[in-house]
Amino acid sequence: MDKQGNISTEPSFQTALPSSTKRVEKRGYIGGFVKYLIMLLISLVMVFPFYWMAVSSLKTPVELSSLPPVWWPSSPTFESFAKIFDVVPFGSSLMNSIIVTTAATASILLTSILAGYVFAKYHFRGKNVLFVIVLSTMMVPQFVLIVPLYHMMNGLHLVNTFFGLILPNMANAFGIFLMKQFIEGIPDDLIEAARLDGASEWKIIWKVIVPLLKPAASALILFAFVYQWNNFLWPLTIVQTPEMNTVVLALNSLRSYTTSVEYTNVVMAGAVIGILPSVALFLWLQKFFIEGIAMTGIKG
Amino acid sequence: MFKKGSLILLAILLVLSIVACDSKSSTDGGSSTGEKKVKISYLTHWAAPQVEQLKSAIKEYNKIEPNVEIEVRAVPFGNLLTTLTTQSTGSGAPTITSIYELWLPQLVNDKIAAPIPAELESEVQSNYPEGIINAITINGKVYGFPNEVNLYALNYNERLFKEAGIAAPPKTWDELVDAAKKLTKKDASGKITQQGFGIITSWNSGVVHPWLSLLYSNGGELLGSDHMPVLDSKEVKETTELYQKLIFDEKTTDPSMSIANASTTGPYLDNFANGKTAMIIMANWWQSALEDSMGDKFADIKTAPIPVGPSGSGSHSVSYSWLTSVNAKADQSQQEAAWKFLKWLNSGESGENGSSAMGDMLMGMGIMPSRNSDIEAHNTDLNSPFLKPYVDELKNAKSFPIVLGGNELTTTLQQQLEQMEFGQTSQNDTLENAQKSLKDLMSQFYK
Amino acid sequence: MLKPRTLAAVGFLTPGVGLLSVFIIFPIILTAWVSLNHWSMMTPISEMNFVGFENYTKIFDQDTFKKALANTFVYSIANLAMMLPLSLLLGLLLYQAALKGKTIVRTLLFLPYIIPSVAVAIVWGYLYSPMYGPFNEILAFFHLPTQEWLGSFDQAMMSLVILNVWQTLGYYVVIVLAGLTEISQDYYEAAAIDGANSLQRLFYITLPLLKRSLSFIVVIMTINTLQVFDPIYVLTQGGPANSTTVVSYHMYDTAFNFGNAGQASAMAFILYLVVLFFTILQLRLFKTDY
Repeated sequence: MDKQGNISTEPSFQTALPSSTKRVEKRGYIGGFVKYLIMLLISLVMVFPFYWMAVSSLKTPVELSSLPPVWWPSSPTFESFAKIFDVVPFGSSLMNSIIVTTAATASILLTSILAGYVFAKYHFRGKNVLFVIVLSTMMVPQFVLIVPLYHMMNGLHLVNTFFGLILPNMANAFGIFLMKQFIEGIPDDLIEAARLDGASEWKIIWKVIVPLLKPAASALILFAFVYQWNNFLWPLTIVQTPEMNTVVLALNSLRSYTTSVEYTNVVMAGAVIGILPSVALFLWLQKFFIEGIAMTGIKG
Repeated sequence: MFKKGSLILLAILLVLSIVACDSKSSTDGGSSTGEKKVKISYLTHWAAPQVEQLKSAIKEYNKIEPNVEIEVRAVPFGNLLTTLTTQSTGSGAPTITSIYELWLPQLVNDKIAAPIPAELESEVQSNYPEGIINAITINGKVYGFPNEVNLYALNYNERLFKEAGIAAPPKTWDELVDAAKKLTKKDASGKITQQGFGIITSWNSGVVHPWLSLLYSNGGELLGSDHMPVLDSKEVKETTELYQKLIFDEKTTDPSMSIANASTTGPYLDNFANGKTAMIIMANWWQSALEDSMGDKFADIKTAPIPVGPSGSGSHSVSYSWLTSVNAKADQSQQEAAWKFLKWLNSGESGENGSSAMGDMLMGMGIMPSRNSDIEAHNTDLNSPFLKPYVDELKNAKSFPIVLGGNELTTTLQQQLEQMEFGQTSQNDTLENAQKSLKDLMSQFYK
Repeated sequence: MLKPRTLAAVGFLTPGVGLLSVFIIFPIILTAWVSLNHWSMMTPISEMNFVGFENYTKIFDQDTFKKALANTFVYSIANLAMMLPLSLLLGLLLYQAALKGKTIVRTLLFLPYIIPSVAVAIVWGYLYSPMYGPFNEILAFFHLPTQEWLGSFDQAMMSLVILNVWQTLGYYVVIVLAGLTEISQDYYEAAAIDGANSLQRLFYITLPLLKRSLSFIVVIMTINTLQVFDPIYVLTQGGPANSTTVVSYHMYDTAFNFGNAGQASAMAFILYLVVLFFTILQLRLFKTDY
């Protein structure tokens, strides 16, 4: 009734134990030392750009333009964070990103659960063909679509509107695929039992399926959120005034104001704010996220 | 459990309804605030301070003319053409746009730019230099108000010149090569630590305009009278030879120090500002960027005319101008309101001390206005050691060819020249390839 | 009983499948059609005129497009060559349960994957900066020659690849890790009884059984890297001297800066066919012997 039906088919990483560990210990400290050294090195490499970004945002213009570069500001200042809001309408960009990302994520979740349920539990002629067609949309590069999409939006008078930003991203083949995979693991008996009780299909989705979907739904929410938040090409095409900018577009235009290295702190401060929501969400829900990816890797 | 489902649904509905309301208010379709009020928009690539200036100018204008509402839309320079391209067919297209003259032929061809009304034509004809009016005249019609004008000249670092014992800026190509040699410093491994002469790459105008300035100063041309490229001339060959000499033979120029980024600043500017590049050919507008980067050291930077080549008879820089145009697809009432506003904005009534508001805004960016009365009004500022040589050279400057596909022409030529600068193609191949690809391009537009 | 369920099926499928049809399938068909026409982006679509395959012959006449196509492949292959072994090695390392702190390393590895690539590109632009950037400072500290990075004709592409490896490596490591957890411990126990050493275990058990994960990595990485746009738009604009022009960037330039929607669509459609071809090819190749 709980996870059995779905993701518990994947053992979680923390508990998996390979057999080779005992031998490794025997081989002594050198092997272990090398491994930790590699891990330390990797961590440094991964952290360094974040460090540089954060530190640069705290530097003064003088420190930014001094040679050789300053590794730690002598008196860190948060001035740059206030300055972003003078240079571009960053507040409204944040709001726009939140609106667009939330709407698209909610819609993807809903459409994916509905379609995933049908693909997982219904049997009809042409289902597999339809599913393959849905899957094939997953590998369509975004830039193949922008010219016609742009003109479609133009025809609908949706250029430079929230609808224009959201509409093409309201459904997602990957989401449908992910939901189908999870829902397939839910025993048919549960659904049949609900049907015998006279529940409608709509009710079955909300009362039987959705409560079991928490891990998969969390993963999908994260995927959709991160994708929407980070999306660049489509907003770049459809947005035309700074007031409609998303955070990523605001970052891009922030960059155009950097006529010299002294403004680096403002750009870096923008980057810090721009990545925070994704980072926070990821750290909070990373277990589901990583399981979601693991899932696609195995069953894809 | 059912709660959760309905909660999600509710959330979606809520968000969508917010979106719906918001998107309605953000499109400028509804124009029902007062029946007589005409709503127009002004698209520009200016930065925040100038946008503020423009907004306060509009406020002033509204005191005289309350029945028009002008919305300012600002985008970064790199997105201006894209915005124009994509918006022009839509309902929310800008009424007034500030454009680069090179884009004009295409806009006229696609019937997006409107010719100036007959009664305003004299306003332009009698107030701007002839060369600038010619550049925005297509088939006998003038397509807007010229605003800024830019041209190229040789910028050099006087401090480095003194260090190297050079008294005056080079006047000929031989002197240029000679000075570049003296100004170049290398480390033990032969790597250039200070380059005598700097070029610009990764930005189409930054590559093409300085090269073309040198070509013009060598008596050469880019396009013939039939709009077809003439890159097989002796003058062109000599110009690429000069590059060859500076980059490869004498190694006074390091292409990797030449990169520009999307905001048309970046390493090439950093190198010049930090005294790692002694000479570079650039346009007057970068004054404010240099001042920002250099602070007090900006005083070291001086300007001289483009050095003259062996086949040239005088220094001729490339100039280009911008203009404010009106969308031909806007309503008649909007077009009328737009022209009326532009007439005011460009006239002496709107600015201070006889300058137009436009002139004041341009000077705020360190950019030269083109209206005769504006140049006069800002005489003292334009007399600075950095700007004066530019102003003086304006009479000798030649415009970049204004043709259909001009932007693509610049980019194509940029790519060919960069191939040569980075040592990927030989001089002869470069010119042959460039001649061929430019010919292909131009024959798409001109038979 | 059947009818309400059929109705439900149609009702549930329509939003998802409908949106995908309208916003993905229909635009692809439109792209294919536009690619056969001459059309300026600045004019209404009704002013388009049919020119057959002229756009295709025109773009294959262009040095820039051919270069862009070649660069796109180079970018893809270089990414594969670096990422596949790295993700495998790191996956094997982080899989070892006795290792302390591996969750932290995994989190750090994965973190760049979820942040906007525009932000990553902007930050790396500063890291690579030849004068004010820390990379050359670090090299100089170790007495290594400083590099030109994005400013060099030969290094710019590699610099972009390194950036992408840093950003996406964590994602592929996670897939390798997931593949490893799928391998039944019975194999290893049997091998231990047979006295197989760790290298033999790696080549005879781990790698063959990881084939599915690895093939997935190859497919996904190919699809993703063939579409690269953001770092090029932000950092190099295709330069220096076209050394980093890729199809998506050149296509964007052609459509939105040169206004040539016909040629841009032809470019987009060609790359779409390439992506499609590689995806099908790779799925086939890996499927047959799994």
